[in-house]
Amino acid sequence: MRLLLVEDDVELGRRLSERLRAADFAVELATSRSVAEDWPDVDQLGAIILDLGLPDGDGLDLVRHWRGVRVETPIVILTARGSWQDKVEGLNAGADDFVVKPVRFEELLARLNAQFRRQHGSRSPAIAAGDLRLDPLARTVELAGQGLALSRQEFRLLHLFMRRAGQVLSQADIMDDLYELDRERELNTVEVLVGRLRRKIGRGRITTLRGMGYRFER
Amino acid sequence: MMMRPPLPGSLRLRFLLAITLWVVLGVGAIWFSAVGIFRTHVERSYHEELEVHVRELGRLTALAPDGRIVLTRPLSDPRYEEPLSGFYWQVTADGRAPLKSGSMTRGSLDEHIAHSPEILHTLDNGPTGPAITYGFTRTGPRGEDIHFVIATDQRELDRLVNSFTRDLTLWLVGLGALLLATGLAIIGFGLHPLDRLSRAIGRLRQGEAVELEGRYPVEIAPLAADLNAYIRQNSDMIARARVQAGNLAHSLRTPLAIITDEAERLAERPDSAAAGQVLLDQAGAMEQQIEYQLARARSSAGQPASGRTTRLPDVALPILKAMERLHPGKHFRLAVGGCSGTALPVDPVDYAELLSILLDNAGKWASAEVVLAFTCAADGAITATISDDGPGIPAPELARVFDLGVRLDPAVPGSGLGLAIARDLAATLGLRLDLTNRAQGLMAEVRFTP
Repeated sequence: MRLLLVEDDVELGRRLSERLRAADFAVELATSRSVAEDWPDVDQLGAIILDLGLPDGDGLDLVRHWRGVRVETPIVILTARGSWQDKVEGLNAGADDFVVKPVRFEELLARLNAQFRRQHGSRSPAIAAGDLRLDPLARTVELAGQGLALSRQEFRLLHLFMRRAGQVLSQADIMDDLYELDRERELNTVEVLVGRLRRKIGRGRITTLRGMGYRFER
Repeated sequence: MMMRPPLPGSLRLRFLLAITLWVVLGVGAIWFSAVGIFRTHVERSYHEELEVHVRELGRLTALAPDGRIVLTRPLSDPRYEEPLSGFYWQVTADGRAPLKSGSMTRGSLDEHIAHSPEILHTLDNGPTGPAITYGFTRTGPRGEDIHFVIATDQRELDRLVNSFTRDLTLWLVGLGALLLATGLAIIGFGLHPLDRLSRAIGRLRQGEAVELEGRYPVEIAPLAADLNAYIRQNSDMIARARVQAGNLAHSLRTPLAIITDEAERLAERPDSAAAGQVLLDQAGAMEQQIEYQLARARSSAGQPASGRTTRLPDVALPILKAMERLHPGKHFRLAVGGCSGTALPVDPVDYAELLSILLDNAGKWASAEVVLAFTCAADGAITATISDDGPGIPAPELARVFDLGVRLDPAVPGSGLGLAIARDLAATLGLRLDLTNRAQGLMAEVRFTP
């Protein structure tokens, strides 16, 4: 899943990006309001983590702007402003959660996953499809009750498929979710990855639709 | 216009006392002076009149051929002929029968008062009491002394003076009452700008105005202007303090976030796990102190100030909306009671912070619903209750939930500072905060008593 992290502090931005990538997210980093505001595909992102105190403007205005143009991507505000006045303003501007710095990474991850669950109407962090069960918090996958060893990219791909089960995902959709925009992309990477995943979870679970993409069967 | 009774220590009472004293002294002085002048004037007129009468008596007196003393005609004043009228005359001479006025039906006048050709007068006893007596002598044809005496009762003079004094007293009492009423009207007129100022301050306290409104006389206009400047300065200072607190938070929390991240990384590595954990614990303690002290700084900035009031239930509406987003699946309900439009005389930012903490706390523990209810009593007490349908707090824990850093369930996100900050905020705002277990769930009660 691809996230947009809007953080002006270079060191904190670098560290959070590292952590999020280690947790199998693709992370885009914007260090100013103007860069974030012009981000090309905010509505395709899994979530936005937004600092409020940006050098060229207030992050709250960004929230209002995005909500004003019908961007429904979950927004988690991560800020040094800790008063309830700021929290109420942020949430009422359209943010989905409000986290005050410093935060333990596990808590930030849990709050992000809560947003993903809320987005998909599920109260449990785990996603299930038949006898396949994926827990994004524990980062485990079970097939018929047995643990399944997946690489980081395989896990991220399966997570994407299971979140959007029944939908057709093009190779570009998958690339967008798995990789940052500025990374080099080779389309056959997706084919290779899907092939490896099929071998581990069963061929019938992922259908190839020629010229369109892939569909994870419910 | 009905005038309020002046309060002890008030300007109105001071003016009233001063005017009353002035009127009493002034009217009293007029009374004493007028009575004195009138008495002097009346006495002088009496004496002049008596002198005229005694001269007339001398002129009209003659000796008849048989030696009797007679009057050629009656005195011009008829009161000398009315019996016991208080106006008497008498003419005596050695060896002759005395001649008396018709009014003197009994007694006589002392002839020795007239013992000189010069007209003399004295206060003597007359037939009907003390009398002002005039007399002189003239030598008769036989060389004898003829005594002419004329007298008027002193009570006649007293009656005139008393009558004047009574009329004057009544008139002066009326004048005094009129002057006092005028004085009260002047006090009311003069102090009207201060009454307006008092009402403007009342509106300020009630939150119906943000500064003293209206134009005032030049004597108190600087006071109103200074007060408005002070209110603005105070508001600006509070705003600046809050901004500075926010800036301080920002400047401390971002480096602390980096330290926390580094500590987490260290804690994840076996060779530095212990050091990392120490750093994490200390970073956590620093974070707690920053949050707590900044909350205190923010609330201290909001110490009671003129014109800062919280409008109910408006203050709660954005908070409840935010809580619905923060705690999806939980319903936040508002019961306004009879408090719609009520102005609570506490800082709105701090009161909102207090409600937010309690509502967020209730939202974390509620099963399905949180109710915020306002109650306004006739005595001016305003109570906000926040009730949830969660598990409540075990009785032994209730006493320590306000302590710094206490978390009843570490699995529930939070710093353990919320209720400690809420307690301090309530104390700063002069509110009473109580937590009680209900049949199901917890109820926080925030009470304002005027």
